[in-house]
Amino acid sequence: MTRALPLVLAVALAAVVTFLTLPLLALFLRVPPAELVAQLGDQRAREALVVSLETSLLAHVLILGLGTPAAYLLATGSFRGRTLLVTLLELPLVLPPAVAGLGLLAAFGRTGLLGRELRALGLEIPFTQLAVVVAVCFVASPFYIRGAIAAFQAVDPALPAAARTLGAAPLRVFGRVALPLALGGLGAGSTLAFARGLGEFGATIMFAGSLPGRTQTAPLAIYDALNTDFEVALALGALLVAFSVGILLTTKLLLSWTRSTSPSITLSAPSGSR
Amino acid sequence: MLLLPACGGGSGSEPLVVFAASSLGEVAPQIEPEATVVLGGSNELAAQLRDGAAAGVFLSASSKPVEELRAAGIVERPIAFASNRLVVVTPPDDRAAASLADLERPGTKVVLGGEGVPVGDYARQALRAAGLERALTRVVSLEADANGVLGKVALGEADAGIVYATDARAARGKVRSFPVPARYQPRIRYYAALVSPGSESARRWLDRLLGEVGRAALRRGGFLQVDS
Repeated sequence: MTRALPLVLAVALAAVVTFLTLPLLALFLRVPPAELVAQLGDQRAREALVVSLETSLLAHVLILGLGTPAAYLLATGSFRGRTLLVTLLELPLVLPPAVAGLGLLAAFGRTGLLGRELRALGLEIPFTQLAVVVAVCFVASPFYIRGAIAAFQAVDPALPAAARTLGAAPLRVFGRVALPLALGGLGAGSTLAFARGLGEFGATIMFAGSLPGRTQTAPLAIYDALNTDFEVALALGALLVAFSVGILLTTKLLLSWTRSTSPSITLSAPSGSR
Repeated sequence: MLLLPACGGGSGSEPLVVFAASSLGEVAPQIEPEATVVLGGSNELAAQLRDGAAAGVFLSASSKPVEELRAAGIVERPIAFASNRLVVVTPPDDRAAASLADLERPGTKVVLGGEGVPVGDYARQALRAAGLERALTRVVSLEADANGVLGKVALGEADAGIVYATDARAARGKVRSFPVPARYQPRIRYYAALVSPGSESARRWLDRLLGEVGRAALRRGGFLQVDS
C-alpha cells in the first residue's frame, strides 16, 4: 500500500505530461524545421504575427496599467460588496469566448448599447484593431487581476503598516513596499494574461472580424489558412507554440532573476525571523 | 470542432456519418433520419477527411476540396447534384445597399467569405465579372463560412454581404436580400462523393440524395437542379 501509492502518483503524472505535451510535439513532428523558418517569410503569416503582437502588447499595457491599482484596492480595501465585485470580474474567465464576443457587440457594436454614443464621438469599434485590443482585454484581464489580488493579499500586512507608521504616503507604500513584494505573483498573472490574449480567438472573430493585415491575429490566420493551405496552418500553429514557450521561459527566468535581486528577500526575511 | 472519434470507415452497423457543407444544413438531414450529419466549411471538412475522419459521404460546396480528395484517393468520383445562386444580404433596417454597385460606395462595410472559402471565392468572381473590384477594398472581414457573413450582417455590424440564396432564405426576417444579376452569377455546383472504399449504407444514402427524396428536399430548400 505504501509502496503502491507513489507508483500510482507517478503513473498519473506520466499520463498528464504525455497528454499535455504530445499534441504540441506532434505539431512539430509534422512541420520540418526548415518549413517553419520558411513560413516566417510568408506575408500573411508575418502580417498575422505583427497584428497579434501589436494588439497583445497594447492590450497588456492597458491590463497592467488599470488592473494593478484595481487589484490592489480589491486586495487591501475592505468595503461592502467586495466579494461580489471580485466574482463579477472573474466572470469572463468562465464565459465561452463566443459569448464574450456577442456581449462586446451588444455593448460596443454599431447597434449596441453604446453604439450611438460611440458613433457621435466618431468611433466605430467593430472590425478595427481597437476591437481586437478590446476583445483581448476583456478575456485576458481577469487572469491578471485574479493573480494580482492574490499576490497583494500574500504580502505580509505588517510591512506596509510599518512603512505607514514611518510616515510613508499611501502611494509610496504601494509603489515602494506592496508592489515590489507582490512582483512574483504579478509576473505570473501577467504571463498568464498575455498568453491567453495571444491565443484569443472566439471573441475576436465575432467582435473584430478577420481581415489580413488589420484584424487577423495569428490564431485567426491559422483558422483561415485551413481553407487554402493546410501546411501553412500547421506551420503557423507550430510558430505560435514556439513563441509561447519563449514567453513562458523568459518570464520564468525574469522572475527568478528579480526574486534573487529584488528587495523582497531583504524585506521579508527579517519579518520571518523576527 | 468535431468530437467524433475516428473509428471504422462507416462499416457494418455503425451509423452513417455525412459530412456536408454548411449551406446544406437544412437539406442533408432530410435524406435519411438515421444518418448523422456533420456540418462545416467544405475545406474544413476536407481537412478532417484527409486526417482520417470517419464519414461515409462528403458533400462539398465547390469542386476544389472534393477534387483534391479525389486525387488523393480519399473519395470516389464526385457527382454534381445541385446548384445555387448568390444574393446580397443587408441588415433589415438598413438602406445602405440596394444594388450590387452600392458595395463600392465609400464607407460601406462589406463582409465576404475568406480566400479559398467557396462562398467567398464565388462572391469575388461575381464582383470581378461585374467590374466592381473596388468593392473588395470595402471588405472589413473575411469569414470562414456563409454563416459568419450572415451573422455580421444580421447583427447590423456590416452593411452588406454576399451569400447563397438558400442561406438568405433560411435567415429571412433577420436580413433583407436581393439577387446578384444573372449575367454575373458564377457557376455554382455542389458535389457529392462517397468516401473510399464506400460502404453499403453510404451508397444507399447517396442514391436517396440523387433520387426523388433528395430532389424534393433540395427544391424545398431553394436549390436549383443541375442539368446532367
